[in-house]
Amino acid sequence: MTAAQFAALSPLVVLALAAVAAMMLVPLARLQIVQASAAAGLGLAAAIVLLRVGAPAAPMGALFTDDGPARFGIVFACLVSLGALVFLRTGHPAKEAPSLLVLVAIGAATLAGAGHAATLFLGIEILSLSLIALFAFRLTRQGLEAAYKFLVMSGLASSALLLGIALIFAETGALDFAGWGGRGALTAFGTALLLAGLAFKFSLVPFHMWTPDAFEAAPASAATLAGVVSKSAVAIVILRLALTAHLPEPVWSEGLAALGGASVLIGNLLALRQPQLPRMLGYSTIAHSGYIALIIASGTPHAGEAVLFYLAIYAPAMLGALCVSAALGRAPTLPDLHGLMKRRPLEAIALSLSLLSLAGLPAAGGFIAKLFLLRVLIDGSLWVLVGIVVAGSSLGFFYYAKFFTAPFVGHTHDESEPLPQLDRGLLIVCIALIVIFGVAPAGLMNVVAATMAP
Amino acid sequence: MALIALILLPAFGGFVAFFVAGKGERERWVTIATFALMLVLLVAVVATGAEGRWYDKVSYPWVPSFGISLDFAMDGLSATMIALAAGLGIISVMASWSEIRTQSGLFHASLCWTVAATVGVFLSFDLLIFAFFWEAMLVPAFTLIAVWGHGDKEGAALKFLIFNAVAGFGLLAASFALAAMADHMTFSAFELAEMKLSTPVQVWMLLGFSLAFMVKLSVPPFHAWLPEAHTLAPTAGSILLAGLLLKTGAYGLFRFAPMLFPDGLAAVAPYGIALGAAGALYGGLVACGQNDAKRLVAYTSIAHMSIVLMGISAGVHYALAGAAVEMIAHSFSASALFLLIGALYERTHTRDLRQLGGLQQTAPKFAAAFALFCSALLALPGTANFVGEALVVVGIFQVNWVFALLALSTLVVSVIYATRLLKGLVFGLPQPKPPLADMTWREYWPILVMGIGTLIIGLYPQSLLALLEPAIKAALTQTP
Repeated sequence: MTAAQFAALSPLVVLALAAVAAMMLVPLARLQIVQASAAAGLGLAAAIVLLRVGAPAAPMGALFTDDGPARFGIVFACLVSLGALVFLRTGHPAKEAPSLLVLVAIGAATLAGAGHAATLFLGIEILSLSLIALFAFRLTRQGLEAAYKFLVMSGLASSALLLGIALIFAETGALDFAGWGGRGALTAFGTALLLAGLAFKFSLVPFHMWTPDAFEAAPASAATLAGVVSKSAVAIVILRLALTAHLPEPVWSEGLAALGGASVLIGNLLALRQPQLPRMLGYSTIAHSGYIALIIASGTPHAGEAVLFYLAIYAPAMLGALCVSAALGRAPTLPDLHGLMKRRPLEAIALSLSLLSLAGLPAAGGFIAKLFLLRVLIDGSLWVLVGIVVAGSSLGFFYYAKFFTAPFVGHTHDESEPLPQLDRGLLIVCIALIVIFGVAPAGLMNVVAATMAP
Repeated sequence: MALIALILLPAFGGFVAFFVAGKGERERWVTIATFALMLVLLVAVVATGAEGRWYDKVSYPWVPSFGISLDFAMDGLSATMIALAAGLGIISVMASWSEIRTQSGLFHASLCWTVAATVGVFLSFDLLIFAFFWEAMLVPAFTLIAVWGHGDKEGAALKFLIFNAVAGFGLLAASFALAAMADHMTFSAFELAEMKLSTPVQVWMLLGFSLAFMVKLSVPPFHAWLPEAHTLAPTAGSILLAGLLLKTGAYGLFRFAPMLFPDGLAAVAPYGIALGAAGALYGGLVACGQNDAKRLVAYTSIAHMSIVLMGISAGVHYALAGAAVEMIAHSFSASALFLLIGALYERTHTRDLRQLGGLQQTAPKFAAAFALFCSALLALPGTANFVGEALVVVGIFQVNWVFALLALSTLVVSVIYATRLLKGLVFGLPQPKPPLADMTWREYWPILVMGIGTLIIGLYPQSLLALLEPAIKAALTQTP
């Protein structure tokens, strides 16, 4: 292994060491120390990648790639996991959670660099298995139900994925993405199965059933991992498949567009009448997956940039909203949010701004993401998809608006405890990122353009 | 730089108002000071402005890879609208002085941010920046209605947000399509105006833009959001909606339709005039049947904005000038009436014309103010509204006498609803029984200012027309 190859893989090594260290510290040290070791690993891994910005891609063989999107995916997974770690509330016996969280980050990092069926499958399984444990973490009835649902459906999705890969292999004889192609019936069927397996992890309709349950029952930071970290890693894999593999066309692009369009419409429709904040976020995350899928399906030259841009803008908004949700205790509903502005101004502002960004209204980053999405679709003259996006976002205004005004009306009193310093810091970072991306997007735009540059 | 300061000043003022709110009336004074500073800055820009049409014109890159830049420019039309924005901002603070007691900091911040975003709309010549501010003004305005309104305020606010935000997609899609057709990626209206597009393409693009503008103008059938939003909003919200937000639709149409799509506008002009005429009649007739004073004024807004649409569609000099004057005249009359009705509602807790009356005996100042603005509503000669509507009608006579007669008939309808309002409030037996307090100075001064404005423009319209002339000429000759 050359030095360059080692440098490219070292973030994964650091993460793995951190996961092991966090696990070993469980019986020895207090929770804070366990968390600190996990945080150190995540921070170090992100720093290693950032130090290599500008370095040429290391030649890695077929399994792993070291291109721009992979590096973006690793940094993204580490930073968002670090954010999730901040509001990870663990009960007494469950000090293993930080270790599991780092495992999710490893899965996401592997997935982001995957250029081969083996790493694809490996990444997805590491992700899913750690998520199942995190979902079940509270040991409540709903938590167990969510974990069980995810376990069964995840198993199904993995088998579909494996069978799909096998069928494609049967025809093309290749397992790396670059070798995939061809037009035969086997590849077409295999591609459909592959798409179904990925759609499950990406929570696209009709493979979305686990998402709202997980958001409702699991701890908010586990929902962040499922909704942001794992999803962005899958998005990057799908993007790489779209860019490097030549999968049979009517199935791949149009299948992705169909799944994406359905997710935009159905996700938004289901969110419409949800009175419960985490569940609403769960449905809205389905819709956002749909938007990302539509960007990739458009196949236009700027699609790659648009995906990364969308992910970067979506992350602080989701992180902020879920952190507030965690701060308010179990599954806050609309009436629980009333009068929040008076009791807890920082949380109220962070929540409203996050939802504003998710709704795609200006001054928040979401507006620019919406612009990018529309531009990509209009570049490709995909007017039907534009129509779907407009219909979906219009529905989105309904439920986001209900939630982002709730903190400013009415009164309720509050029994929950004040927010710890770290959470406050995280919320301030989220607010700052949302506003900066919304008001001065040029910087992020340059970053994603440089990332996607060959 | 001064133009950007004009946008940043109220945006920043909003934050200050938000954070100083608490005991005393600090946030109110901060907001008033912000708008006053804006007026000073505006006067400075106009006074030191360069020769020619533009007082000031700047361009900074915003997202270079997208071809988006901060293209701001100010001519007489923008300057007038910004003056209106700042002035109405001060009036809104005064009108809400005793009405808004809860979360006053956020209220004044929303007020400032609404004004900041509309100023952005009035200055932007980059289509995406325009769209940015266009949608940005919805959020604080939504908050104003949803948090401090009455009755089913959240429903009304949602309707407002969704109608306008969805219509904004038309603007966005047409902007992207235009930029895609340019030889290099740009959203600058000045550069896009140079493009020679075929008439059908122009019509399609114009329809995209118009979707946003028509909904904001609330021309039937795009008006469904307006009656509720105006009726249920707090007084300051109604003032800003009628005086400012509706005008952004008229402004956009006036500014961009002739500039970017001259042939397209000519092709759809007859439909625009017809839609305007139908809207003016519809709004006027429905207004005649209202018992709620605020709702009545809301429907007259629909009628008057439809007259503005007729004027812009007609595309001749008189009509364009009339439309521009009517925009400003309507801001004065509608805002003043909303303020008066709001002040009356605070005292009597009713807006029902059948339960009110006799103000001339109980509250003579109220009665005089109502009399003045009801005459402006029916476009009595001597008021600014007369100048606007008369010019539009004269202009339409040059285009098509059938539509001109229709436009004239709307003036007859306006007499009915204005006298109905006047009779219900000012004349008759004093109702309700306990005599009500007359206007306080805080309510009186804004009315006085707007009344004087209405009369000055009405008696000496050249004062305003000279300021607007370069913009009217540009729209007429279809040059950027």
